[in-house]
Amino acid sequence: MSRTPSLDSIPLFERLSPDEQDELAELMEPASFGPGAFIYEEGGPEETLYVVTSGAVEVHKKVLPGRLHHLATMEAPTIVGEMGLLTEPRATASVTAKTPVEAHGISRDQLLEMLDEDSLAACKLVYEIGRTLAARMARTDESVANIIVQLERRNARPDHDPDVFGDRLLSEWGF
Amino acid sequence: MTEERLQRVRFFEFLTDEERSEFMDGAQPTVFEAGAVIISEGEESSSLFVLTSGRVEVRKKIPGDRERSLAEIDADREATVVGERGLLGQNEASATVRASSRVEAIRVPREAFRRMISEGRPAAFKLSYRIARTLAQRLTRLDEEVVEAIRDLERRGETDLEAFRDRLITEWTV
Repeated sequence: MSRTPSLDSIPLFERLSPDEQDELAELMEPASFGPGAFIYEEGGPEETLYVVTSGAVEVHKKVLPGRLHHLATMEAPTIVGEMGLLTEPRATASVTAKTPVEAHGISRDQLLEMLDEDSLAACKLVYEIGRTLAARMARTDESVANIIVQLERRNARPDHDPDVFGDRLLSEWGF
Repeated sequence: MTEERLQRVRFFEFLTDEERSEFMDGAQPTVFEAGAVIISEGEESSSLFVLTSGRVEVRKKIPGDRERSLAEIDADREATVVGERGLLGQNEASATVRASSRVEAIRVPREAFRRMISEGRPAAFKLSYRIARTLAQRLTRLDEEVVEAIRDLERRGETDLEAFRDRLITEWTV
């Protein structure tokens, strides 16, 4: 029998009633990852959302050939796989355990099914995820503003067309 | 009347008639004259606007005192939503939305939305799900563009790019 995880200490679940927490907890499977183990591998499937209850995870992406760029380190309690839930079930970066990690996995398909049926428990979870995405979007905007500054500075170069880049980046802006 | 207008609008089409009325209880019909600013870049944007008629222009400041037009939206052709991020987050708007003609809109203030959330009203959570999905898709595309920009700059063999890339990627989380 799998343990029933306690979700009420995790900020993402605070808004859920005990019944709603139980509804999600029942669908969760415990999972452990040893240091260095892949939770998701870049380009591979992202079919499970994990609620990380202890340990730390690292996010890496292959940005340039032959090198892994470190994007983030996240400590428990946190959630990973939320982008896979809301977009495509394919990992855009690798997530590995930095320390021994304890987590609870919930299947993306099951969550999507609940959302399609307007499950309040699932919708409340996604509301909290949405709030973190809104904050992240603001930070990304700043990063992209920096890219544009850099591109504009290269404007004088004859072999470079910063406007094309700038326009492409700008057209994705959220407001 | 305004409820009927909501029915065909992105983010609202999946709600039941009853849920749309719940939103309308806290919403205000608003008119912007040509030239009026609906959302102002750099200021906290705290409402979602459903634009139901008229045209707007979206503009973004570029460092170095310049401004660029990002998009023109014709709400006469299709009602559209701006400011959805303001409902979920508390951040400054990253672009200005200005009326280029007389614009009719329905304003959903964040306070009304938050009240629905704290009352546990499904309509507000359903709307959040759609907004979260839009944000996630936009973030994914933005990340892809950022990666492409980095790769492209790298191919040009610039020497001062290391610092630039680091700055870019610091804020970039998954």
